[in-house]
Amino acid sequence: MTFLRAHRTIATVIAFVLVYVIVKVLSILPLVNGEPLLNKYYIQLIVLAGINIVMTVSLGMVNGFTGQFSIGHAGFMAVGAYTSAMITTVWLHTSAANPWVAYPVFIAAILTGGLLAAAAGYLVGAPSLRLKGDYLAIVTLSANELIRTVIRVTEVLGGPRGLGGIPKLTTLEVVFVFAIVSVVLMRNYLFSSYGRSMKAVRDSEIAAESMAINTTRQKVFVFVFSAFFAGVSGGVFAHLLQFIHPDNFSFVKSLEYLIYLYVGGSTSISGAMVGPAIFTLLPELMRGLQKWRLVIYPLILILVMIFRTEGVMGLKEFNFILIPQRQRKEVSA
Amino acid sequence: MALLEVTHLTQFFGGLRAVSDFNIQLEHGEIVGLIGPNGAGKTTVFNVLTGVYTPTKGTIVFDGQNIVGRKTHQIAQAGIARTFQTIRLFGKSSVIDNIKIAYHFRMSYSNTDAFLHTRKYWQGEQLVDDYAIDLLRLFHLEGHAEDISGSLPYGAQRRLEIARALATKPKLLILDEPAAGMNPAEADELMEMIHWLRDKFDLTILLIEHQMRVVMGVCERIKVMDFGETICEGVPEYIRNDPRVCEAYLGKGA
Repeated sequence: MTFLRAHRTIATVIAFVLVYVIVKVLSILPLVNGEPLLNKYYIQLIVLAGINIVMTVSLGMVNGFTGQFSIGHAGFMAVGAYTSAMITTVWLHTSAANPWVAYPVFIAAILTGGLLAAAAGYLVGAPSLRLKGDYLAIVTLSANELIRTVIRVTEVLGGPRGLGGIPKLTTLEVVFVFAIVSVVLMRNYLFSSYGRSMKAVRDSEIAAESMAINTTRQKVFVFVFSAFFAGVSGGVFAHLLQFIHPDNFSFVKSLEYLIYLYVGGSTSISGAMVGPAIFTLLPELMRGLQKWRLVIYPLILILVMIFRTEGVMGLKEFNFILIPQRQRKEVSA
Repeated sequence: MALLEVTHLTQFFGGLRAVSDFNIQLEHGEIVGLIGPNGAGKTTVFNVLTGVYTPTKGTIVFDGQNIVGRKTHQIAQAGIARTFQTIRLFGKSSVIDNIKIAYHFRMSYSNTDAFLHTRKYWQGEQLVDDYAIDLLRLFHLEGHAEDISGSLPYGAQRRLEIARALATKPKLLILDEPAAGMNPAEADELMEMIHWLRDKFDLTILLIEHQMRVVMGVCERIKVMDFGETICEGVPEYIRNDPRVCEAYLGKGA
């Protein structure tokens, strides 16, 4: 335990791997009438939850920790989804290739998607983050709809028919690796001098600027890497569903991520993981309630906002997320 | 050579002249006060000096460089640090993080080091942690290091704000009403602290203050403003007996 306390990155990885092992065992062991507890459908939901976690944690970097209000995160997801799908499906036809070829292409494709999304993030963020106030919300909302509409009218991308035939390369394992790497990277950044500057911008932009922090550069950088992770998530998402449609990435999708984030707790990485996990898995657990589950969904949001304004986790983090405190020597005066 | 030299500074907001023809010279190690009734333009002068506003006219030379038109963070990096009239701490961050944030621009590791937590990151973090805890000790705040800064008592928040300003290692410290909301005993402590700051950190200090006891007790030179104009300047005894100052504060015939 002492070792884990000192090496929290390893602890984070172990926590994820444990979850993976449990899920994997439950999907193989025949527990219920000779069938495993988690069938293919549930596995797909868990994979989706993993993607949503990365989306929400990356959104939390901008909205929760830097205090900027971005409401078009699905737009960057679309850029990543379409870019990677075009590379693997239309240009390189990886569906027919063997896994040793398909996976390197897949990884290169989702990273390219992430980079293009980051570029889109720069184009959107650089002009609007210079201004203080709510301009970012309006600009990101418009950018989201702009990206969706451009895809709709672009024939090469499938236009309004959507883009199908994408090879199913996203597996449970892929998503676990992807989620671990993404969350650890963002966690690391947050627990650094740059992460502290993000929180400074959120708490008082004018004081941060007076304390020699280039707030504009910090805001733009966070926005760009957040868009990058959204783009990569989009790529992983496309290779899970195998069919993408521009309307998958509408403003409603962005709104979903905002709800996940604010219910989980926008000022906590743990919260940004709990929120999407609850909302992706809960509707299935409440299947017996049939139509009523659509009532429970918004009800949860209202109750959380009334009784826990800061989200389920508030400012708290799970232990495996935190960086260990250094023991300071006592100095006698 | 003077550390700060402001000449013919004028600031318009639309048709309103908030500051007109303001001149000041600060020598290294001086403690200078800026006083005047509400709306006299004192805080505007501070905001122009720190780059929040770009002056309509005039020059500001700090430490040999013209700083007009520079951004706030660039001016802070050049060596002017400030506190605020209403406390503006990073309220959700811990006390020690407030100090570390002000040290950020001196940190040597890159964004990549931050993502990967490289050896350079750990070295940098250790360095800044040592620096911050030492600074907190000087201000008797080390016991609160891990507390959320917004939850500190008022006096401690004031001290932390000054400590945070010092973490940028400034040459000039400007204090906007540091004694606001303090009782006489606390104000006495503050006066002692201002002298101690100047000697310990080799600073030049410019302050705005309404409590005359503090201004008269701590400043070596005072400048009085009213309606954007400088009406009087001199040592405390001279200011105390100047009829123009009494008129600005109390009205004619007082």
